[in-house]
Amino acid sequence: MGGTNKSTVEERKKTAWADWGYRLLPVLSILLLILSWHLASSNSPDSFPTIQATWERFLLLWEKPIMRVSYPGHILASLKRVCIALFFSWLIGISFGIIIGWNRKMDAFFGTIFAFIRPIPPIAWIPLITIWFGIDEFPKILIVFIGAVMPVVINTHAGLSSVEQLYLNVGTAFNANRFQMLFEVAIPSALPSIFAGIRTSTSTAWMVVLAAEMLGAKSGVGFLVVRGMDGLDMPLVLVAMITIGVIGALLAAVTNFMERRLCPWMSIR
Amino acid sequence: MSTAEHNEVKVQVKNLTKKFGSLHVLDNISFDIKKGEFMCVVGPTGCGKTTFLNMLTKIYEPTGGELRIDGELADPKKHNLACVFQEPSSFPWLTVEENLKFGLKIKKLPEKEIQERVETIIRIMGLEKFRKSYPGQLSVSSEQRVIIGRAFAMQPDLLLMDEPYGQMDIKLRFYLEDEVLRLWREFGTTVVFITHNIEEAVYLSERCLILTNKPAAIKEIVENKLPYPRDIAGEDFITLRKHITEQIKWW
Repeated sequence: MGGTNKSTVEERKKTAWADWGYRLLPVLSILLLILSWHLASSNSPDSFPTIQATWERFLLLWEKPIMRVSYPGHILASLKRVCIALFFSWLIGISFGIIIGWNRKMDAFFGTIFAFIRPIPPIAWIPLITIWFGIDEFPKILIVFIGAVMPVVINTHAGLSSVEQLYLNVGTAFNANRFQMLFEVAIPSALPSIFAGIRTSTSTAWMVVLAAEMLGAKSGVGFLVVRGMDGLDMPLVLVAMITIGVIGALLAAVTNFMERRLCPWMSIR
Repeated sequence: MSTAEHNEVKVQVKNLTKKFGSLHVLDNISFDIKKGEFMCVVGPTGCGKTTFLNMLTKIYEPTGGELRIDGELADPKKHNLACVFQEPSSFPWLTVEENLKFGLKIKKLPEKEIQERVETIIRIMGLEKFRKSYPGQLSVSSEQRVIIGRAFAMQPDLLLMDEPYGQMDIKLRFYLEDEVLRLWREFGTTVVFITHNIEEAVYLSERCLILTNKPAAIKEIVENKLPYPRDIAGEDFITLRKHITEQIKWW
Protein backbone atom coordinates (compact mmCIF):
# COMPACT_ATOMS: atom_id res chain seq x y z
CA MET A 1 0.00 0.00 0.00
CA GLY A 2 2.80 2.36 1.10
CA GLY A 3 4.74 1.42 -2.01
CA THR A 4 1.80 2.31 -4.22
CA ASN A 5 1.47 5.74 -2.58
CA LYS A 6 5.16 6.37 -3.01
CA SER A 7 5.07 5.47 -6.68
CA THR A 8 1.97 7.69 -7.19
CA VAL A 9 3.79 10.62 -5.60
CA GLU A 10 6.81 9.99 -7.79
CA GLU A 11 4.62 9.77 -10.89
CA ARG A 12 2.94 13.05 -9.99
CA LYS A 13 6.33 14.69 -9.54
CA LYS A 14 7.36 13.41 -12.94
CA THR A 15 4.19 14.77 -14.56
CA ALA A 16 4.72 18.14 -12.86
CA TRP A 17 8.26 18.32 -14.21
CA ALA A 18 7.05 17.34 -17.68
CA ASP A 19 4.39 20.11 -17.51
CA TRP A 20 7.04 22.66 -16.60
CA GLY A 21 9.22 21.37 -19.42
CA TYR A 22 6.44 21.85 -21.97
CA ARG A 23 5.85 25.41 -20.74
CA LEU A 24 9.55 26.19 -20.74
CA LEU A 25 10.36 24.91 -24.23
CA PRO A 26 8.53 27.66 -26.20
CA VAL A 27 10.20 30.36 -24.06
CA LEU A 28 13.54 28.70 -24.66
CA SER A 29 13.02 28.66 -28.43
CA ILE A 30 12.18 32.39 -28.47
CA LEU A 31 15.26 33.18 -26.36
CA LEU A 32 17.41 31.18 -28.79
CA LEU A 33 15.92 33.09 -31.74
CA ILE A 34 16.68 36.43 -30.06
CA LEU A 35 20.20 35.26 -29.23
CA SER A 36 20.90 34.22 -32.84
CA TRP A 37 19.47 37.55 -34.03
CA HIS A 38 21.83 39.33 -31.66
CA LEU A 39 24.84 37.30 -32.81
CA ALA A 40 24.04 37.68 -36.51
CA SER A 41 23.28 41.40 -36.37
CA SER A 42 26.26 42.42 -34.23
CA ASN A 43 28.62 41.31 -37.07
CA SER A 44 26.93 43.35 -39.83
CA PRO A 45 24.64 45.97 -38.26
CA ASP A 46 24.20 47.78 -41.62
CA SER A 47 22.49 44.98 -43.47
CA PHE A 48 20.94 43.30 -40.42
CA PRO A 49 19.59 45.75 -37.82
CA THR A 50 20.39 45.02 -34.21
CA ILE A 51 17.73 44.36 -31.56
CA GLN A 52 18.46 47.76 -30.07
CA ALA A 53 18.04 49.60 -33.42
CA THR A 54 14.80 47.74 -34.17
CA TRP A 55 13.37 48.53 -30.72
CA GLU A 56 14.24 52.22 -31.13
CA ARG A 57 12.62 52.28 -34.59
CA PHE A 58 9.53 50.66 -33.06
CA LEU A 59 9.27 53.40 -30.42
CA LEU A 60 9.85 56.09 -33.05
CA LEU A 61 7.05 54.64 -35.17
CA TRP A 62 4.60 55.31 -32.32
CA GLU A 63 5.71 58.95 -32.16
CA LYS A 64 6.11 59.74 -35.86
CA PRO A 65 3.36 58.52 -38.21
CA ILE A 66 4.26 57.42 -41.76
CA MET A 67 2.14 59.01 -44.51
CA ARG A 68 0.07 60.60 -41.73
CA VAL A 69 -1.06 57.17 -40.58
CA SER A 70 -0.10 55.97 -37.10
CA TYR A 71 1.40 52.52 -36.43
CA PRO A 72 -1.91 51.07 -35.15
CA GLY A 73 -3.58 52.80 -38.11
CA HIS A 74 -1.41 50.80 -40.53
CA ILE A 75 -2.25 47.57 -38.72
CA LEU A 76 -5.97 48.41 -38.75
CA ALA A 77 -5.83 49.27 -42.47
CA SER A 78 -4.46 45.80 -43.26
CA LEU A 79 -6.87 44.10 -40.85
CA LYS A 80 -9.84 45.94 -42.36
CA ARG A 81 -8.96 44.68 -45.84
CA VAL A 82 -8.48 41.15 -44.51
CA CYS A 83 -11.73 41.13 -42.53
CA ILE A 84 -13.88 42.38 -45.43
CA ALA A 85 -12.26 39.89 -47.82
CA LEU A 86 -12.61 37.03 -45.31
CA PHE A 87 -16.27 37.79 -44.64
CA PHE A 88 -17.13 37.53 -48.34
CA SER A 89 -14.80 34.61 -49.00
CA TRP A 90 -16.42 32.58 -46.18
CA LEU A 91 -19.93 33.53 -47.25
CA ILE A 92 -19.39 32.81 -50.94
CA GLY A 93 -16.81 30.04 -50.52
CA ILE A 94 -18.87 27.96 -48.08
CA SER A 95 -22.06 28.38 -50.16
CA PHE A 96 -20.30 27.49 -53.41
CA GLY A 97 -18.42 24.60 -51.78
CA ILE A 98 -21.71 23.21 -50.45
CA ILE A 99 -23.36 23.47 -53.87
CA ILE A 100 -20.59 21.68 -55.75
CA GLY A 101 -19.92 19.23 -52.91
CA TRP A 102 -23.55 18.18 -52.56
CA ASN A 103 -24.79 18.28 -56.14
CA ARG A 104 -22.91 16.06 -58.57
CA LYS A 105 -24.19 17.91 -61.65
CA MET A 106 -22.99 21.24 -60.27
CA ASP A 107 -19.67 19.61 -59.42
CA ALA A 108 -19.32 18.30 -62.96
CA PHE A 109 -20.21 21.72 -64.37
CA PHE A 110 -18.12 24.01 -62.14
CA GLY A 111 -15.45 21.52 -61.08
CA THR A 112 -13.33 21.80 -64.22
CA ILE A 113 -13.34 25.60 -64.33
CA PHE A 114 -12.50 25.69 -60.64
CA ALA A 115 -9.66 23.18 -61.04
CA PHE A 116 -8.21 25.46 -63.72
CA ILE A 117 -8.56 28.75 -61.80
CA ARG A 118 -7.45 27.33 -58.43
CA PRO A 119 -3.69 27.04 -59.06
CA ILE A 120 -3.37 30.66 -60.29
CA PRO A 121 -1.73 32.56 -57.40
CA PRO A 122 -3.74 35.61 -56.28
CA ILE A 123 -0.72 37.85 -56.96
CA ALA A 124 -0.90 36.92 -60.65
CA TRP A 125 -4.28 38.66 -60.82
CA ILE A 126 -2.78 42.00 -59.77
CA PRO A 127 -2.03 43.39 -63.28
CA LEU A 128 -5.50 42.60 -64.64
CA ILE A 129 -7.29 43.78 -61.51
CA THR A 130 -5.26 47.01 -61.49
CA ILE A 131 -6.28 47.71 -65.11
CA TRP A 132 -9.93 46.92 -64.38
CA PHE A 133 -10.35 48.59 -61.00
CA GLY A 134 -7.34 50.91 -60.45
CA ILE A 135 -5.37 50.99 -57.21
CA ASP A 136 -8.11 51.90 -54.79
CA GLU A 137 -9.27 49.81 -51.78
CA PHE A 138 -11.58 47.51 -53.74
CA PRO A 139 -8.92 45.87 -55.95
CA LYS A 140 -6.77 45.07 -52.89
CA ILE A 141 -9.72 43.49 -51.12
CA LEU A 142 -10.59 41.59 -54.30
CA ILE A 143 -7.09 40.10 -54.54
CA VAL A 144 -7.24 39.02 -50.89
CA PHE A 145 -10.69 37.57 -51.54
CA ILE A 146 -9.37 35.51 -54.48
CA GLY A 147 -6.63 34.09 -52.29
CA ALA A 148 -8.89 33.38 -49.32
CA VAL A 149 -11.87 31.91 -51.13
CA MET A 150 -9.97 28.98 -52.71
CA PRO A 151 -9.15 26.99 -49.54
CA VAL A 152 -12.69 27.51 -48.24
CA VAL A 153 -14.23 26.13 -51.43
CA ILE A 154 -11.80 23.20 -51.62
CA ASN A 155 -12.30 22.12 -48.01
CA THR A 156 -16.07 22.64 -47.98
CA HIS A 157 -16.33 20.64 -51.19
CA ALA A 158 -14.18 17.86 -49.74
CA GLY A 159 -16.24 17.75 -46.53
CA LEU A 160 -19.60 17.66 -48.30
CA SER A 161 -18.60 15.08 -50.88
CA SER A 162 -17.24 12.65 -48.30
CA VAL A 163 -20.02 12.52 -45.71
CA GLU A 164 -20.01 9.05 -44.14
CA GLN A 165 -22.55 6.77 -45.80
CA LEU A 166 -23.63 5.53 -42.37
CA TYR A 167 -24.83 9.04 -41.37
CA LEU A 168 -26.74 9.35 -44.64
CA ASN A 169 -28.33 5.91 -44.05
CA VAL A 170 -29.46 7.05 -40.60
CA GLY A 171 -31.03 10.10 -42.27
CA THR A 172 -32.78 7.87 -44.82
CA ALA A 173 -34.00 5.49 -42.11
CA PHE A 174 -35.49 8.45 -40.22
CA ASN A 175 -37.06 9.60 -43.50
CA ALA A 176 -35.20 12.92 -43.72
CA ASN A 177 -36.02 14.90 -46.87
CA ARG A 178 -33.22 16.26 -49.07
CA PHE A 179 -33.21 19.62 -47.34
CA GLN A 180 -33.00 18.02 -43.86
CA MET A 181 -30.35 15.61 -45.11
CA LEU A 182 -28.20 18.57 -46.18
CA PHE A 183 -28.71 20.84 -43.17
CA GLU A 184 -29.11 18.29 -40.36
CA VAL A 185 -26.64 15.63 -41.51
CA ALA A 186 -24.24 16.62 -44.30
CA ILE A 187 -23.26 20.17 -43.28
CA PRO A 188 -22.72 19.39 -39.57
CA SER A 189 -20.66 16.34 -40.47
CA ALA A 190 -18.57 18.49 -42.86
CA LEU A 191 -17.95 21.25 -40.28
CA PRO A 192 -14.46 20.05 -39.26
CA SER A 193 -13.44 20.16 -42.90
CA ILE A 194 -15.09 23.57 -43.44
CA PHE A 195 -13.16 24.90 -40.46
CA ALA A 196 -9.90 23.57 -41.85
CA GLY A 197 -10.68 25.74 -44.90
CA ILE A 198 -11.45 28.76 -42.71
CA ARG A 199 -8.12 28.38 -40.89
CA THR A 200 -6.15 28.16 -44.13
CA SER A 201 -8.09 31.06 -45.66
CA THR A 202 -7.27 33.30 -42.69
CA SER A 203 -3.52 32.74 -42.95
CA THR A 204 -3.65 33.03 -46.75
CA ALA A 205 -5.61 36.30 -46.54
CA TRP A 206 -3.02 37.79 -44.20
CA MET A 207 -0.17 36.80 -46.54
CA VAL A 208 -1.93 38.07 -49.66
CA VAL A 209 -2.93 41.44 -48.16
CA LEU A 210 0.73 42.18 -47.41
CA ALA A 211 1.73 41.28 -50.96
CA ALA A 212 -1.10 43.43 -52.36
CA GLU A 213 -0.03 46.35 -50.18
CA MET A 214 3.59 46.01 -51.22
CA LEU A 215 2.52 46.60 -54.82
CA GLY A 216 0.73 49.88 -54.32
CA ALA A 217 -0.79 51.27 -51.15
CA LYS A 218 -0.49 54.26 -48.85
CA SER A 219 -1.28 52.39 -45.66
CA GLY A 220 -0.99 48.93 -44.19
CA VAL A 221 1.76 46.76 -42.77
CA GLY A 222 2.85 45.66 -46.26
CA PHE A 223 3.27 49.32 -47.16
CA LEU A 224 5.60 49.73 -44.14
CA VAL A 225 7.84 46.97 -45.54
CA VAL A 226 8.06 48.72 -48.92
CA ARG A 227 8.59 52.09 -47.28
CA GLY A 228 11.49 50.64 -45.23
CA MET A 229 12.97 49.02 -48.32
CA ASP A 230 12.74 52.20 -50.42
CA GLY A 231 14.30 54.34 -47.70
CA LEU A 232 16.92 51.69 -46.80
CA ASP A 233 15.34 51.78 -43.36
CA MET A 234 15.98 48.13 -42.42
CA PRO A 235 14.88 48.50 -38.77
CA LEU A 236 11.45 49.58 -40.11
CA VAL A 237 11.38 46.49 -42.33
CA LEU A 238 12.08 44.31 -39.31
CA VAL A 239 9.46 46.08 -37.15
CA ALA A 240 6.91 45.47 -39.94
CA MET A 241 7.98 41.82 -40.27
CA ILE A 242 7.61 41.18 -36.54
CA THR A 243 4.21 42.89 -36.60
CA ILE A 244 3.15 40.58 -39.45
CA GLY A 245 4.20 37.54 -37.43
CA VAL A 246 2.43 38.65 -34.24
CA ILE A 247 -0.83 39.65 -35.97
CA GLY A 248 -0.77 36.42 -38.02
CA ALA A 249 -0.45 34.36 -34.84
CA LEU A 250 -3.27 36.35 -33.21
CA LEU A 251 -5.53 35.73 -36.22
CA ALA A 252 -4.80 32.00 -35.98
CA ALA A 253 -5.70 32.10 -32.27
CA VAL A 254 -8.99 33.85 -33.07
CA THR A 255 -9.97 31.19 -35.64
CA ASN A 256 -9.03 28.43 -33.19
CA PHE A 257 -11.23 30.06 -30.58
CA MET A 258 -14.12 30.32 -33.07
CA GLU A 259 -13.69 26.66 -33.98
CA ARG A 260 -13.78 25.57 -30.35
CA ARG A 261 -16.95 27.59 -29.75
CA LEU A 262 -18.77 26.45 -32.88
CA CYS A 263 -17.59 22.81 -32.95
CA PRO A 264 -17.24 21.92 -29.25
CA TRP A 265 -17.37 18.17 -29.97
CA MET A 266 -14.13 18.33 -31.92
CA SER A 267 -11.96 19.41 -29.01
CA ILE A 268 -13.19 16.64 -26.70
CA ARG A 269 -12.04 13.78 -28.91
CA MET B 1 -50.27 -6.37 -23.80
CA SER B 2 -53.56 -8.24 -24.40
CA THR B 3 -53.57 -11.49 -26.37
CA ALA B 4 -56.06 -10.07 -28.88
CA GLU B 5 -53.72 -7.17 -29.64
CA HIS B 6 -50.78 -9.51 -29.86
CA ASN B 7 -52.53 -11.58 -32.53
CA GLU B 8 -53.16 -8.58 -34.77
CA VAL B 9 -50.90 -8.64 -37.86
CA LYS B 10 -48.68 -5.57 -37.95
CA VAL B 11 -46.36 -6.29 -40.83
CA GLN B 12 -47.10 -8.48 -43.80
CA VAL B 13 -44.26 -9.62 -46.05
CA LYS B 14 -45.54 -11.20 -49.29
CA ASN B 15 -43.40 -12.93 -51.93
CA LEU B 16 -40.48 -10.59 -51.28
CA THR B 17 -37.71 -11.07 -53.85
CA LYS B 18 -34.49 -9.13 -54.41
CA LYS B 19 -31.98 -9.45 -57.22
CA PHE B 20 -28.90 -7.29 -57.82
CA GLY B 21 -28.39 -7.91 -61.55
CA SER B 22 -27.80 -11.64 -61.83
CA LEU B 23 -27.21 -12.00 -58.07
CA HIS B 24 -30.30 -13.50 -56.50
CA VAL B 25 -30.31 -12.50 -52.83
CA LEU B 26 -33.83 -13.04 -51.50
CA ASP B 27 -36.23 -15.60 -52.92
CA ASN B 28 -39.95 -15.27 -52.50
CA ILE B 29 -40.13 -14.64 -48.75
CA SER B 30 -43.55 -14.47 -47.10
CA PHE B 31 -44.39 -14.13 -43.41
CA ASP B 32 -46.31 -11.98 -40.92
CA ILE B 33 -45.13 -10.12 -37.86
CA LYS B 34 -47.70 -9.62 -35.14
CA LYS B 35 -48.23 -6.32 -33.38
CA GLY B 36 -45.82 -5.86 -30.52
CA GLU B 37 -43.90 -9.00 -31.42
CA PHE B 38 -40.16 -9.48 -30.96
CA MET B 39 -38.90 -11.39 -33.97
CA CYS B 40 -35.31 -12.45 -34.56
CA VAL B 41 -33.92 -13.24 -37.99
CA VAL B 42 -30.99 -15.66 -38.17
CA GLY B 43 -29.19 -17.26 -41.07
CA PRO B 44 -25.78 -18.11 -42.48
CA THR B 45 -23.28 -15.24 -42.88
CA GLY B 46 -23.86 -13.34 -46.12
CA CYS B 47 -27.26 -14.94 -46.73
CA GLY B 48 -28.95 -11.57 -47.23
CA LYS B 49 -30.13 -10.64 -43.74
CA THR B 50 -29.02 -7.02 -44.09
CA THR B 51 -30.47 -6.76 -47.63
CA PHE B 52 -33.75 -7.97 -46.18
CA LEU B 53 -33.61 -5.27 -43.51
CA ASN B 54 -32.61 -2.57 -45.98
CA MET B 55 -35.72 -3.35 -47.99
CA LEU B 56 -37.86 -2.90 -44.92
CA THR B 57 -36.31 0.55 -44.39
CA LYS B 58 -36.67 1.27 -48.10
CA ILE B 59 -32.95 1.86 -48.54
CA TYR B 60 -33.43 -0.77 -51.32
CA GLU B 61 -36.55 -1.33 -53.39
CA PRO B 62 -37.62 -4.99 -53.74
CA THR B 63 -37.42 -6.62 -57.17
CA GLY B 64 -40.71 -8.35 -56.52
CA GLY B 65 -43.32 -8.79 -53.82
CA GLU B 66 -44.60 -6.32 -51.28
CA LEU B 67 -44.40 -5.19 -47.72
CA ARG B 68 -47.48 -3.99 -45.87
CA ILE B 69 -47.76 -2.28 -42.51
CA ASP B 70 -51.25 -2.23 -40.96
CA GLY B 71 -52.60 -3.44 -44.31
CA GLU B 72 -51.14 -0.53 -46.29
CA LEU B 73 -48.10 -0.67 -48.56
CA ALA B 74 -45.08 0.31 -46.45
CA ASP B 75 -44.13 3.93 -47.00
CA PRO B 76 -41.55 5.65 -44.79
CA LYS B 77 -43.52 8.89 -45.24
CA LYS B 78 -46.66 7.35 -43.80
CA HIS B 79 -45.30 4.73 -41.43
CA ASN B 80 -42.96 5.12 -38.63
CA LEU B 81 -39.84 3.01 -39.10
CA ALA B 82 -36.72 3.21 -37.00
CA CYS B 83 -33.44 1.46 -37.49
CA VAL B 84 -30.42 0.57 -35.37
CA PHE B 85 -27.37 -0.19 -37.49
CA GLN B 86 -24.50 -2.49 -36.68
CA GLU B 87 -21.91 0.30 -36.51
CA PRO B 88 -22.15 3.04 -33.84
CA SER B 89 -24.27 5.55 -35.74
CA SER B 90 -24.85 8.41 -33.32
CA PHE B 91 -24.00 11.83 -34.69
CA PRO B 92 -20.75 13.07 -33.11
CA TRP B 93 -21.78 16.74 -33.48
CA LEU B 94 -24.92 16.36 -31.36
CA THR B 95 -25.13 15.91 -27.61
CA VAL B 96 -26.85 12.81 -26.20
CA GLU B 97 -30.06 14.79 -25.76
CA GLU B 98 -29.89 16.23 -29.29
CA ASN B 99 -29.17 12.78 -30.74
CA LEU B 100 -32.29 11.43 -29.05
CA LYS B 101 -34.29 14.33 -30.49
CA PHE B 102 -32.95 13.87 -34.02
CA GLY B 103 -35.65 11.64 -35.53
CA LEU B 104 -38.43 13.49 -33.72
CA LYS B 105 -37.28 16.85 -35.11
CA ILE B 106 -37.01 15.37 -38.60
CA LYS B 107 -40.63 14.32 -38.16
CA LYS B 108 -41.47 17.87 -36.98
CA LEU B 109 -43.31 16.76 -33.85
CA PRO B 110 -44.42 19.51 -31.43
CA GLU B 111 -41.59 20.68 -29.16
CA LYS B 112 -43.50 19.65 -26.03
CA GLU B 113 -43.95 16.08 -27.23
CA ILE B 114 -40.31 15.87 -28.29
CA GLN B 115 -39.23 16.97 -24.82
CA GLU B 116 -41.55 14.49 -23.09
CA ARG B 117 -40.45 11.54 -25.20
CA VAL B 118 -36.76 12.37 -24.78
CA GLU B 119 -37.14 12.72 -21.02
CA THR B 120 -38.78 9.28 -20.86
CA ILE B 121 -35.95 7.69 -22.85
CA ILE B 122 -33.28 9.43 -20.77
CA ARG B 123 -34.93 8.16 -17.59
CA ILE B 124 -35.43 4.59 -18.78
CA MET B 125 -31.94 4.31 -20.23
CA GLY B 126 -30.29 5.98 -17.24
CA LEU B 127 -28.65 8.64 -19.40
CA GLU B 128 -29.28 11.60 -17.06
CA LYS B 129 -25.64 12.35 -16.36
CA PHE B 130 -24.70 12.10 -20.05
CA ARG B 131 -27.47 14.41 -21.26
CA LYS B 132 -25.07 17.18 -22.35
CA SER B 133 -22.16 14.90 -23.32
CA TYR B 134 -21.07 14.26 -26.87
CA PRO B 135 -20.90 10.65 -28.16
CA GLY B 136 -17.09 10.97 -28.33
CA GLN B 137 -17.09 11.26 -24.53
CA LEU B 138 -19.11 8.08 -23.97
CA SER B 139 -18.14 4.45 -23.67
CA VAL B 140 -19.18 2.08 -26.48
CA SER B 141 -22.08 0.69 -24.44
CA SER B 142 -23.41 4.13 -23.52
CA GLU B 143 -23.20 5.23 -27.14
CA GLN B 144 -25.11 2.15 -28.26
CA ARG B 145 -27.73 2.94 -25.61
CA VAL B 146 -28.14 6.39 -27.15
CA ILE B 147 -28.64 4.84 -30.60
CA ILE B 148 -31.20 2.35 -29.29
CA GLY B 149 -32.90 5.14 -27.33
CA ARG B 150 -33.01 7.32 -30.45
CA ALA B 151 -34.85 4.52 -32.27
CA PHE B 152 -37.31 3.84 -29.42
CA ALA B 153 -38.03 7.58 -29.02
CA MET B 154 -39.68 7.45 -32.44
CA GLN B 155 -42.25 5.02 -30.98
CA PRO B 156 -41.96 3.26 -34.32
CA ASP B 157 -44.53 1.00 -35.95
CA LEU B 158 -41.60 -1.22 -36.71
CA LEU B 159 -38.12 -1.14 -35.18
CA LEU B 160 -35.38 -2.80 -37.20
CA MET B 161 -32.13 -3.78 -35.54
CA ASP B 162 -29.25 -5.05 -37.63
CA GLU B 163 -26.81 -7.00 -35.45
CA PRO B 164 -26.63 -4.05 -33.05
CA TYR B 165 -24.41 -5.94 -30.60
CA GLY B 166 -22.24 -7.64 -33.21
CA GLN B 167 -19.04 -5.94 -32.13
CA MET B 168 -19.48 -6.10 -28.39
CA ASP B 169 -18.07 -8.37 -25.77
CA ILE B 170 -20.28 -10.85 -23.95
CA LYS B 171 -20.83 -8.79 -20.77
CA LEU B 172 -21.94 -5.73 -22.68
CA ARG B 173 -24.14 -7.80 -24.94
CA PHE B 174 -26.01 -9.41 -22.03
CA TYR B 175 -26.52 -6.02 -20.47
CA LEU B 176 -27.85 -4.39 -23.65
CA GLU B 177 -30.02 -7.39 -24.51
CA ASP B 178 -31.86 -6.92 -21.21
CA GLU B 179 -32.06 -3.20 -21.94
CA VAL B 180 -33.72 -3.73 -25.30
CA LEU B 181 -36.21 -6.19 -23.76
CA ARG B 182 -37.07 -3.59 -21.12
CA LEU B 183 -37.74 -0.92 -23.75
CA TRP B 184 -39.73 -3.37 -25.88
CA ARG B 185 -41.99 -4.16 -22.94
CA GLU B 186 -42.33 -0.51 -21.94
CA PHE B 187 -43.32 0.74 -25.41
CA GLY B 188 -44.91 -2.37 -26.94
CA THR B 189 -42.88 -1.80 -30.11
CA THR B 190 -42.79 -4.38 -32.91
CA VAL B 191 -39.14 -5.40 -33.28
CA VAL B 192 -37.25 -7.22 -36.04
CA PHE B 193 -33.80 -8.09 -34.69
CA ILE B 194 -31.19 -9.50 -37.04
CA THR B 195 -28.35 -11.47 -35.51
CA HIS B 196 -25.87 -14.20 -36.33
CA ASN B 197 -25.67 -15.13 -32.67
CA ILE B 198 -28.12 -18.01 -32.05
CA GLU B 199 -27.94 -17.71 -28.29
CA GLU B 200 -28.93 -14.06 -28.59
CA ALA B 201 -31.84 -14.98 -30.86
CA VAL B 202 -33.15 -17.55 -28.38
CA TYR B 203 -32.66 -15.16 -25.46
CA LEU B 204 -34.63 -12.34 -27.07
CA SER B 205 -37.18 -13.59 -29.58
CA GLU B 206 -40.81 -14.60 -29.36
CA ARG B 207 -40.40 -16.09 -32.80
CA CYS B 208 -37.25 -16.79 -34.72
CA LEU B 209 -37.10 -16.67 -38.51
CA ILE B 210 -34.39 -18.90 -39.98
CA LEU B 211 -33.15 -18.02 -43.46
CA THR B 212 -31.36 -20.42 -45.82
CA ASN B 213 -28.15 -19.72 -47.69
CA LYS B 214 -28.29 -17.38 -50.70
CA PRO B 215 -30.74 -16.94 -52.40
CA ALA B 216 -32.34 -16.70 -48.98
CA ALA B 217 -35.69 -18.33 -48.41
CA ILE B 218 -37.45 -19.16 -45.14
CA LYS B 219 -36.18 -22.42 -43.68
CA GLU B 220 -38.38 -22.37 -40.60
CA ILE B 221 -40.15 -20.01 -38.25
CA VAL B 222 -39.52 -21.22 -34.69
CA GLU B 223 -41.98 -20.33 -31.92
CA ASN B 224 -40.13 -19.48 -28.73
CA LYS B 225 -42.43 -19.74 -25.73
CA LEU B 226 -39.75 -19.83 -23.02
CA PRO B 227 -40.72 -17.45 -20.19
CA TYR B 228 -38.75 -14.20 -19.71
CA PRO B 229 -36.21 -13.64 -18.20
CA ARG B 230 -34.60 -16.61 -19.88
CA ASP B 231 -31.90 -18.81 -18.44
CA ILE B 232 -29.24 -19.45 -21.07
CA ALA B 233 -28.10 -22.54 -19.18
CA GLY B 234 -31.63 -24.00 -18.90
CA GLU B 235 -32.39 -27.31 -20.58
CA ASP B 236 -35.20 -25.96 -22.80
CA PHE B 237 -33.05 -23.01 -23.81
CA ILE B 238 -30.20 -25.28 -24.90
CA THR B 239 -32.55 -27.62 -26.77
CA LEU B 240 -34.01 -24.71 -28.73
CA ARG B 241 -30.55 -23.28 -29.42
CA LYS B 242 -29.36 -26.66 -30.73
CA HIS B 243 -32.44 -27.00 -32.95
CA ILE B 244 -31.89 -23.57 -34.56
CA THR B 245 -28.18 -24.32 -35.02
CA GLU B 246 -29.09 -27.57 -36.82
CA GLN B 247 -31.53 -25.70 -39.07
CA ILE B 248 -28.96 -23.03 -39.98
CA LYS B 249 -26.23 -25.50 -40.98
CA TRP B 250 -25.70 -25.33 -44.71
CA TRP B 251 -22.58 -27.49 -44.91
